[in-house]
Amino acid sequence: MLSLRRRAMIGGALSAMASILVGAFVLLSSIENNVLDRFDRALADRHSQLVVALSTTANDPTRLAERVYDPAYTTPYSGRYWQITSPDGQIFTSTSMFDAALKEPFGAPSTLTRRSIMGPAGEPIRAVYQKITLEDGSAWGVSVAESLAALTAERQQTRRSLLLAFVLVGLLGLAGAFLQTTTILHPLDKLRRDVAKRWEQDEDLTTADYPEEVAPLVDDINELLARNRDIIARARRQAADLAHALKTPTAILRNELALLAAQNHDMEASVEALDRVDAQLGRSLARMRAANSGAAANIRTDLSNSVARFTRLFTSMAERDGKTVRTSCAPSLSIRMDQQDIEEVIGNLLDNALKWCNSEISLTAQKWDEGVEILIEDDGPGIPEGQEREALKSGGRLDSSKPGTGLGLAIAIDLLQAYGAKLNLEKSAKLGGLAVRIFIPGKLRTVAPQKAAA
Amino acid sequence: MRILLAEDDTTLASQVKTLLTAEGRVVDVAQDGEEAGFLGSTEPYDMVILDLGLPIRDGISILKEWRAAGLDMPVLILTARDGWTDRVDGLDAGADDYMTKPFHMPELAARVRAMLRRKSGRTNPLFEKDGVAFDTRNAKVTLGGVPVDLTSQEVAVLSYLIHNAGRLISRTELSEHIYEYDGDRDSNTIAVFITRLRKKLGSDFIQTIRGRGYMVDAA
Repeated sequence: MLSLRRRAMIGGALSAMASILVGAFVLLSSIENNVLDRFDRALADRHSQLVVALSTTANDPTRLAERVYDPAYTTPYSGRYWQITSPDGQIFTSTSMFDAALKEPFGAPSTLTRRSIMGPAGEPIRAVYQKITLEDGSAWGVSVAESLAALTAERQQTRRSLLLAFVLVGLLGLAGAFLQTTTILHPLDKLRRDVAKRWEQDEDLTTADYPEEVAPLVDDINELLARNRDIIARARRQAADLAHALKTPTAILRNELALLAAQNHDMEASVEALDRVDAQLGRSLARMRAANSGAAANIRTDLSNSVARFTRLFTSMAERDGKTVRTSCAPSLSIRMDQQDIEEVIGNLLDNALKWCNSEISLTAQKWDEGVEILIEDDGPGIPEGQEREALKSGGRLDSSKPGTGLGLAIAIDLLQAYGAKLNLEKSAKLGGLAVRIFIPGKLRTVAPQKAAA
Repeated sequence: MRILLAEDDTTLASQVKTLLTAEGRVVDVAQDGEEAGFLGSTEPYDMVILDLGLPIRDGISILKEWRAAGLDMPVLILTARDGWTDRVDGLDAGADDYMTKPFHMPELAARVRAMLRRKSGRTNPLFEKDGVAFDTRNAKVTLGGVPVDLTSQEVAVLSYLIHNAGRLISRTELSEHIYEYDGDRDSNTIAVFITRLRKKLGSDFIQTIRGRGYMVDAA
């Protein structure tokens, strides 16, 4: 869809262009009419001068040239002409006409008649004609004419000046439209920035910070943000309630079966069925948790703090088994991932590492330009080459000698995928066992979380 | 050894209580957070098994309150919440161990024993002195290799003295750790239990410091 900025700019440019075109047309027409009027008035004045001169020289029209002195009338094809037609049809012209004559209008009208015709030099001219009757009753055809070249040049000059002015006005209009668009869209830009910033900080937007036109949208966004957080919290609570509601009875059942087994009843099949129920329950609840990831909430988590929390937990867990945990994380390192989700990932992977290591596990977290990398390594047997794919499968267990559901890695992958993050299995260069390399992008790239498995 | 079990499911609570009682522990059950908080703050428990999803008050807030008040009894969290964040939150709040439901009873029993042993600073589950052997794993007692039959209250008295071996235990303290909350706490009966234990285990095993209490020498 066309952006608001582009729409406003195109709209502004089109309206500015239309105004300029209409303005230019009206102004040009008016100026040209004025120029022609002025030209015609000057022509009429010269016609009057000629008539006055004629009235004193009617008995000898050849002297007329002396009475209407204008150097332009004496220069051949100068562009300024006069012509007299005597009652007997004899034609007297200015020297500028050379040997040509102007054609008189049809009917030789006695009112002042203006025409645009071709002149003696083949140039367009403007001519004024009137049949004049002198006091002695004689009727004379009186014409004056002037080349339109000067008028045309003046018109072109005016057009050029006006065009330049309108181009400037147009540019100013465009700049104005841009400024106006920016001013109008500023609250929307601010809204976008605020949504991104405050979403991360899990805060609401302040409606009073926005113009009244945008305020309802801000209210809606606040409501949407709250609903989003609420949905995630509710889904998690429901999963926790379900876990509590199901796990306590299965714990009771397990204890009853153990009691009966102690009394020499054969409970093997029942225990095995209960094991299956427990495993399925664990898997489904884990999937539910992955499906309810906080990816949609766009939350930032202090990774350094989470690493410190796990360092405390796993150090004490490892000490009981005589193992060592080393962690290294840059201070104030944060990631775009919900705390519960990243802790579920780190917890599962560290737990796996501790389970399989001989004596040492390590966690390193560092920031790159594009995001954050977490590397979890151990000095255990690792995964045989070519079997990484099998290990990455949900519930895939390459070795059943240690207790576990085989779900930890699968849960971690599901959660990471919801955030567009990646997980790779490698051989640890530092410790020789398995290395799990996670990359969490800095910019949000959410993908739809996987649906809970049936 | 007296244990507070905070668990709202009565059947599960009863199963756990049966298990722990069979090992010579005395167990008080609190069925909601409020009762658990009160009992933990007022009674001298040797350890607590705490469910997090308790009615009225959440287990984590109770635990934080205990720790803030300086109560340092070992706490084992037993919960259906198996997320790592809950686990770290629980341990950060001051829990000593964390178990998720469903669980295996023998594992719970083993963790309880390990925590009680750690509390008393002992590493060996078997206590042996003057021919008397006490196995903290199953509360079985032998004298010169011959099993000795003890009542549950005798086991409770002996277990507390052995877990605190080398320390003088007053009659009041002993009664606080071998009777349930609503049990009849007649401290005179303590003398009866001690007399019976001496008959069964030899007169020198438990020393009486007149007017002050009893003591089992450290192994």
